[in-house]
Amino acid sequence: MSIRGLTLLVLLLAGCGGAKVAVPTDFPVPVVDKVPLPIGIYIDENLSSYTHTETLEGRGEWQIELGSAQRPMFQSLLEGMFYGHRFVDQVVGDNQDVAAILVPSIEELQFSTPQQTRSEYYEVWIRYQFKLYDNRGVLLGEWPLTAYGKSHKQNHGSSSTSLQEAALIACRDAMAFFSLQFRSVPVVKDWLAGQLGGI
Amino acid sequence: MHRLPGFGALLVGLVIAHLSGCVTSTIQEVREADTGMESGDAVVVLGRRTRPTPGETEMDFISCVANGMSRGDNSVSVIDEQQFLDDMFPWFEPRTAPINTSDLPELINQPLLASRLDQMGLKYLVWIEGSTRRTDSAGSLTCTVTAGAAGCFGFLSWENDSSYEASVWDVKTGKTAGRISSEAIGTSYMPAIIIPIPLIARVRSSACSSLAGQLKSFVQNKG
Repeated sequence: MSIRGLTLLVLLLAGCGGAKVAVPTDFPVPVVDKVPLPIGIYIDENLSSYTHTETLEGRGEWQIELGSAQRPMFQSLLEGMFYGHRFVDQVVGDNQDVAAILVPSIEELQFSTPQQTRSEYYEVWIRYQFKLYDNRGVLLGEWPLTAYGKSHKQNHGSSSTSLQEAALIACRDAMAFFSLQFRSVPVVKDWLAGQLGGI
Repeated sequence: MHRLPGFGALLVGLVIAHLSGCVTSTIQEVREADTGMESGDAVVVLGRRTRPTPGETEMDFISCVANGMSRGDNSVSVIDEQQFLDDMFPWFEPRTAPINTSDLPELINQPLLASRLDQMGLKYLVWIEGSTRRTDSAGSLTCTVTAGAAGCFGFLSWENDSSYEASVWDVKTGKTAGRISSEAIGTSYMPAIIIPIPLIARVRSSACSSLAGQLKSFVQNKG
C-alpha cells in the first residue's frame, strides 16, 4: 500500500472517531462588586448530570459532559458576586438565611466542528435558563443566557481537546455575562430594589 | 535498498540538523508615547480571540513572545496569559475584553480592578494579532512501501508568511504607547531520493524572536 493510501485510511478512521470530553472543573472567581446579600443556589439532578450526546453522520458519536463542572462553576461565580452563598437542598424549605434562591438549568447545547462549518473552529453554544425564587420558594421571575465558546483547531492536538476547550470557554462566557449583566436583568433589578431600597 | 554505514548516517543527520530554508524578516515600530519599566513593573502578552477569524493568532506564538520577552538580555517581567485572564476575570474574556484603548479607563478606574492591577504591577498590555499562513506550494513527492523496502522520490517546496502586529497599551495612562509589526517570509524545501530531507524555513520562530526582542526594547525605551 502506498503512503497516500495509508494516509487516506488513517484520515478516514480518524474522521469516524468522534470525541468524548468532560469540561474541567477549575473556574476563576469574578472580580466584580459584590451584591451585599447572601444567596442560595439549587442545582438539580438534571443539571449536575447534564451530558450532550450527538451522532454526526460519518463522524461518529460526540459527547460533552458538562454536569460535573456546574457545581464548581457556580461555587466560584457566587463566591465573587455575593456576600455569602450556599447550596440548598430544595427551593421550598428552610432557606431564611438567604435572600433568594437561584435555580439554573441548561435548556440546550449545540456544537459544531470545523468540518461542518468549513472553518478552523470548534464552537459550542449553551443556552442557560435562570429562575430566581424568594426565600419562601415563590418564583420571582426567570431569564435566559446564551453562552458561546470557540477553539481554533491549530491550538490543540486533537478534536477532543479542541472541543473541550470550546466547551470550557462557553462555561466561562456564561459566568462572565452572568456576573456582568446580573444587576441589569429586570427581575433582578426589582428584587434588589425591594431588598436594598436605594442602595 | 542499500544501507547507509553508521558514520554516513550520522553525517547525514548532522547536515540535516543544520540545514534550513531561508527566512527574510522585517520589523517596524510606531511609537506614540514614552515608555519605561521600573523595578516591580510587569507586562502581559495577550492574543485577540474576540470572534472566529481565519487568522486567529496561534496560542504557542503568544507564549513564544512572552517567553522571549522574559528571557535573555534586557528581559522584563511577564505575567502568564492564563493567570492574568483568571485574575482579571471576567473583564478580559473573548467577548468582554476591551477592543480599544478608549475602553481602558472604564476598567482601570474600577477600584477592585485597579487594586488587582496594582498587585500585579502591570504596566503594559501587549495585544497580538496576526498569524502564519502557507501562501504557496509546489512539487510532488511519492513514497512507496513494499514488503522488503520503502522509499520516497520527488521534490516539494512551500512558502510561509508570518504577519503579526503587537499593540502596546499603557495601563497607567489608558493610552496606546505604540505598535510593532513583524513580518517574516520563507520557503521550505523537501527533496527526496529514497529519504526525504526537510529544509524547513522557521518563519514563525523568526517572527516571534524579532517581535519579542523589539517589544523588550520598546517597553524599556532602549535602542
